[in-house]
Amino acid sequence: MDALSAVLQGLPMTLGLTLSAFAIGIVGAVPLALGLSSSNLPVRLASRLFVDLVRGVPIIVWLFLLKFGIQIGTFKFNPVGAAIVGLGIVSVAYLAEILRGGLQSVPRGQGEASHALGLAPADTFYGVLAPQAFRIVSPSIATYLTGLLKDSSIASTIIVTEMVFQSQAFARQHPTVEGILPYIIVGVLYIVLSLPVAYLSRRLDSRMRKAIYA
Amino acid sequence: MTLSEIANGKLAPRTGIKLDNISKRYGDHIVLDDVSLHVEPGTVTALIGPSGAGKSTFLRCINLLERPDSGTIQVAEHTIQPGKDVNARDLAALRRTVGMVFQSFNLFPHMSALKNISFPQQKVLGRSREEADERSMQLLERVGLKEKAGQHPGRCSGGQQQRIAIARALALDPGIMLFDEPTSALDPEVGLEVLAVMRELAADGMTMIVVTHEMQFARDVSDTLVVMADCKIIEQGDPRAVMSDPQEARTRRFLRAVLER
Repeated sequence: MDALSAVLQGLPMTLGLTLSAFAIGIVGAVPLALGLSSSNLPVRLASRLFVDLVRGVPIIVWLFLLKFGIQIGTFKFNPVGAAIVGLGIVSVAYLAEILRGGLQSVPRGQGEASHALGLAPADTFYGVLAPQAFRIVSPSIATYLTGLLKDSSIASTIIVTEMVFQSQAFARQHPTVEGILPYIIVGVLYIVLSLPVAYLSRRLDSRMRKAIYA
Repeated sequence: MTLSEIANGKLAPRTGIKLDNISKRYGDHIVLDDVSLHVEPGTVTALIGPSGAGKSTFLRCINLLERPDSGTIQVAEHTIQPGKDVNARDLAALRRTVGMVFQSFNLFPHMSALKNISFPQQKVLGRSREEADERSMQLLERVGLKEKAGQHPGRCSGGQQQRIAIARALALDPGIMLFDEPTSALDPEVGLEVLAVMRELAADGMTMIVVTHEMQFARDVSDTLVVMADCKIIEQGDPRAVMSDPQEARTRRFLRAVLER
């Protein structure tokens, strides 16, 4: 199984890329979601502009821009750096939009009760609003994560040695029918990797529902 | 121990509140037109009137959930002019002095009943978890819901949720309690449990301002009955006197509608 071992060589890179970009996304999305729902107009507009700009451009274009379009002094992105930053920024924008929707669907009375009790803004956000918003958006976040896993394959276009890149390399060296094999394997691998995310998210979701209604 | 003794730790002095010339408008739409109300410490004030009269808005102006455009609020040695900038210390003092109970309870659905009552104590008053939980259990016992401590609000009936919400507000030792139609979302029988807790609280001498459609409660429990209509207070006084001999035609019309149905 040469094809399998070739594809598996790309597995750590696929996972690393996905998880790094996701981590950047989650951390960056919280302040941006607050910006999107801010009552301060310039802040809200700036956040909105950022989100729409980032989401309006295809990921592949962002990756090419970062990889080939940026040179600051002697600094240039290497392929992995460009891929992580590119996928990370895109994740920030998408996740911020998801979080904003979650925050807005928490009933207004929750914030009012917090104010009436005299809770500080940070306690209101982290203790009351964010946990409820997270319960609402956790399935959407899981969906985004599985999407991101598959989108990480776009990094193969800027020579990041993840699974699809390895598949292509193998196919080039085996221009027979065997060349199709790594693509079948990589397809199956993506499915296998997505399953636990979907499963965990469903478990988490039903556990949180039970915690509230049971 | 009585409810407010638990609430006040037997220490907090009874608090009154003075609201003067409160006005509020949304664009061209006036909601409160120069409303003044003085509430003596330890008294119960019932606020009645047709819907749209501004009762709830007025109540929400007291703890600045709504920001009035002008007027002054004097409470616990703090004078607040909501039309101008309110500094954070005055706002914190106001919110600490004034507890509020909502029509829709607004319990935190992701926390157990106990945590609902303990969490604000820990964050606002800086109590340790043990202290807060102990106080929460005392209050839950007083409102008859000790066995619900570990349950989430979703598993409690509306009446139980409202009693937990009352306990949550009392746990912060307020000097004044505001009730915004506390029984309107409950069916009549369940509402009785809540009214019983409120009667007990009133008997203990808590200063209370209650927006309500429960005329029986307003007549029996309140010291002052305030009738609002068309963004103003049109009549106020002893509840029995106002109900049996209203001076204003608008009051008579409203009372006929609610008492003779």
